[in-house]
Order: sequence, then structure tokens, then C-alpha cells
Amino acid sequence: MVRVMVVDDHPIWREGVARDLAERGVDVVATAPDGAAAVRIARAVRPDVVLMDLQLPELSGAEATAQVRAALPDTQVLVLSASTEHGDVLGAVRAGATGYLTKSAAMEELVDAIGRTAAGQAVFSPGLAGLVLGEYRRREAEAPDEPQLTPRETEVLRLVAKGLTARAIAARLTLSHRTVENHVQNSLRKLQLTNRVELTRYAIERGLDADD
Amino acid sequence: MTTADVSLRARAHPHLVPLWRGLVVYRAVALVAVVVNLVRFHDQWARPSLGIAVVAAMAVWTVVSSTRYLRTGDPVTACLDLVLTALATASTLLVDTPQRVADGGPVITTVWSAGPVLALAIALGWRGGLAGALVTVTVLFGVRRVVDTDLLFDAQLLLVAGLAVGLAADTMRRSVEKLRAATALEAATAERERLARDIHDGVLQVLSLIKRRGDELARTDRDAPGLELARLAGEQEVALRRLITSTPVAGPDGTVDLSSRLAGVVPAHASLAVPAEPVLLPAAVVDELAAVVREAAHNAAAHAGEDAGLWVLVEDDAARVTVSLRDDGVGIPEGRLEQAAAEGHLGVAGSMRGRVQGLGGTIDLHTAPGEGTEWEIMVPRSLRSRHRQ
Repeated sequence: MVRVMVVDDHPIWREGVARDLAERGVDVVATAPDGAAAVRIARAVRPDVVLMDLQLPELSGAEATAQVRAALPDTQVLVLSASTEHGDVLGAVRAGATGYLTKSAAMEELVDAIGRTAAGQAVFSPGLAGLVLGEYRRREAEAPDEPQLTPRETEVLRLVAKGLTARAIAARLTLSHRTVENHVQNSLRKLQLTNRVELTRYAIERGLDADD
Repeated sequence: MTTADVSLRARAHPHLVPLWRGLVVYRAVALVAVVVNLVRFHDQWARPSLGIAVVAAMAVWTVVSSTRYLRTGDPVTACLDLVLTALATASTLLVDTPQRVADGGPVITTVWSAGPVLALAIALGWRGGLAGALVTVTVLFGVRRVVDTDLLFDAQLLLVAGLAVGLAADTMRRSVEKLRAATALEAATAERERLARDIHDGVLQVLSLIKRRGDELARTDRDAPGLELARLAGEQEVALRRLITSTPVAGPDGTVDLSSRLAGVVPAHASLAVPAEPVLLPAAVVDELAAVVREAAHNAAAHAGEDAGLWVLVEDDAARVTVSLRDDGVGIPEGRLEQAAAEGHLGVAGSMRGRVQGLGGTIDLHTAPGEGTEWEIMVPRSLRSRHRQ
């Protein structure tokens, strides 16, 4: 069973989501009302997935995400926010969140997203895909030395942004479902590479996987 | 009320007050020079008592004009100053002997005569300074009747002083206006952000909650009225969130942000994927693109079927801006658009294509029955100025 922690500063929302998740068989192991508490509690309970709001008191959602990911590499962060503030969302993804849903997402969607996040998959909304595409375009112009998207990854992201499911993308590009997931994940991972060690490791992995 | 009006009108432009103060100090020092001139030369004058009377009048006017400059800084006083100073300078012809004047002796007003030039420059800018300098030089020439190095030197100094002080006053006035505009914009932005925060913290949270509770109700009972409630609350949440983030971002040179503009155009249930940075294009281009997107969205709503989704993607790179629209509805059968055009329905074929081509861009349609429709609109960045002509 996936162990989840819910971080949100609105008590009604926080408790409501926790209760609904529990009803659907998700193990909610903790809740936290602010970023600092989230980091502290996460270190103690080691959840599989942290459901993170972005606009939090004490420590922002992005900063809390970075600290949780640094302390607990096996814990994944899924952003669940009412905010569509582009900078906030990109910040959280760069800090290591692997998914983003708005609070208007249906409960089924959320449960499904938690499952996929726990399995290490990326949870991409079309909106997030648009932001990530934009971020790489900016990079292309301003920081050409940093990792860029491959043409295939760009193609996949564009289809995500246009609302196609992974299955539909796989069918359209005649790829396996799994390969589509990998392309999406890679596009996120390259945004999160911030230091030389990570870049080198990434390059080596790429080299080893080149025949794939 | 009238008191407030009067005090408002009777106040000098507050940021020009330092310049006026400088002028007042200059005038006072210049008056000392005039008095020294009087003490040294009055026994050589043709009419010393008239000279003393003129200098006394100048002293009185110095006090009166200084008070007015500091209080109101109005151009009327500066013009009056110009006339009175010209008269005082001209009185040299009566006070002094024609011989001394012809030999290049100092005029009775000496450097004091530069006062109105500076006053006009401060009150009216460089044009005022230039006009004041020209009048003053003309009066000097009228008294001296010779163009010698002294006169040229005076003319040069007066022109430079009038223009320099005038330009300084203009710059101060302009920067104050800019500062005021910037402050107003900042205040408006802060207020908008405060509103957005309030709405985000309150209304948006509650709307999402209603949507979720409604979803819950519908889960236990498929026909529960909650389903409709949930859908409506969800749509309002999205619409409201877009509203508080979609105030059009204006860029430099009359450009506006395409993304924020489209947020107000695409329907609430549609997805809008945009880059984080504003996509700045000339306002006219943004208007046209928004009209094309509105039409495509309208088309999708009318033909794709009730449950069809709509996704809009905006991409921006150095060469072009691309807007993609996709619906997952029933699609358009091959030849349908051509048929519509042939039948005289301009809708899709005519107006959308026409608008995009007017921007020097391209528009492509991919569709097949059952596969929805996909529009891709590309506008080159380099040609975007073409539309403005």
C-alpha cells in the first residue's frame, strides 16, 4: 500500500483530502500544515509520496520539495496546488517534484496519479508540459550548454500538452507505452540536473542506453 | 474647499523648488553686485539719484519676485520679471552718460539681468530659457549699440544658462511624471496581487472543495445532482483562477502577452498550456490570433460534440510563435471544409486562413472522422511587423 503524506495549509482541504484518500485505500501516514513541518515530519515517517501544496507558510512548496528530495531520495513529490503561478510550478519541478495536478482534478485522477508517482512515473498535465516545453525553448536560447530536449522528447511533450494520453501518443508515434513514459520522465529529469555530478551521471547513462 | 483649491494652485511644482531656490539665491547675490556697481560708479553717472531709485526698485522687485517664485513658480511672474528687468537695463541710457555707455561701461542691472532668463527656463523649459535669453540679449544690444566681444560673451552665457537650466527643468518634470506613472502602476499591481491572494486563499479553495464533494456524491449515486454541482464549481474555479492571472501583460513598444490574452478567450473547461515567460507580440497580432483561436474554439464547441475536450498549446521560439488547438470530437470528414467554402460558408476556411495569412503565417488542419481536429497556427516573429502597416 502506498504511504502518503498530505501537505496543505488549509485545514479543511487537508483533512478532506486525507479522508477521501483513506476511503480509497491509500495509507495517509501524516499531514503537515506548512513547508518546514512537512520536511521535519517527512524525515520521521518516510512516506512514499508527498502530496505537496505550493503556497505554504514557513517554507514554500518548492523549497520543501527540494529538502524532502535531498533527505529522502526514495520519496517522490506530487504537487497538488490551486496555484497555476508558472514560476511556482516550474520551481517545484526543478526542485524534484515528478508530477503536478491542480486541485480541480477528480479524486480518481488523484489516486491514479499517486499510484503512478509511487511507481516512479511522471504525472504530467498538459499545462505542465507547456511550461516544460517553454522552459527548454528558453534554455535553447539562453543556456545552450545545458541538456536540451531530443526531437523525440519534444514531439512527445507537445502531444502531452495537446491533451493526448500516453497510450494515444504511443499509438500515434508507433512507440511502446513504456518508451513514451521514459521520454516524459527524461524531459523532467534533465530539468532537475543542477550540478556537474548529476550531469556526468546522466551523460554516462545516456551513453549506455544509446542503443535503446 | 476653496482654501484647498487656492493652496493647490498656489504651489510651485514641488520637484522644481530646488531650482527656484537656486534662482532666488542667485538674484540676491546679483543684487549685491548691482549695489557695488552703484557705490563705485554713481558719482560718474549723469543722473545718480535716478540710478539709486532704479536700484531701489530692483531690490523691491527682487523680494517680490523671489517670494512669488518660491510660492507658485508661475510663468506670469517670470514674464513680468523679463519686462521689468528689460526696463531697468534700458534705464542705463538715462542714468549713465552716453560716453560711458559707448565705451562699454557696465549696464546698471549687470548680472542681475540674467534672472528672468533662468526664471523662464525653470517655468517653461528650454524654450522659455531660449526666448528669455534672446530678449535679454536684444535689450543689451539696444543699450550698447555695438556688437563687441563683451556683448557676444554675455549672449553666449545667457543662451547657455537659459538652455541648460531649461533642459534640467524639463528632465525633472518628465522624470517626476514617469515616477508618478510607475508608482501608480506598482500600486495597481500590488492591489491586484492582494486580490488574487485573497481569492486564492478563500474562494478558489472552497470551489475546489465543492467540486470534490460533488464528485463524491456522484460516486455513490450516478444521477445525484451533485454531479452537475461539481462540474459547475470546477468550471468556475478554473475561470476565476484564469481571471485573476489573466490581466494582460503589456510589454515594451506596444506589445502584449499572447498567453494572458488567450486565457480570456478559450472556454473554462479547455486546457491552456503556455510557457512561463510572457509571449510578447504586437497588440494587433495578438488581437488577430485571439480572434482565430476564439473561432476555432467556437467551432470545436459547435461540431466536436458535447463531451469533447479542447486543448490549446502556445509555443514561442526565436523564429515563430505556434498556437495548436486540438479537440477529441468527431472530426471533420474529408472535403467538408472545401464543400462549405464552395457553398459560401466562409467560416473556417475564409476567416481563419485569411487572418493568419494576413499575419504572414500559416495554418494547418489535421482531421479525420472520429479523430478530432487539430489546428496548428504559426506566425513568424520576423514578419510580425508587416501586419502593422
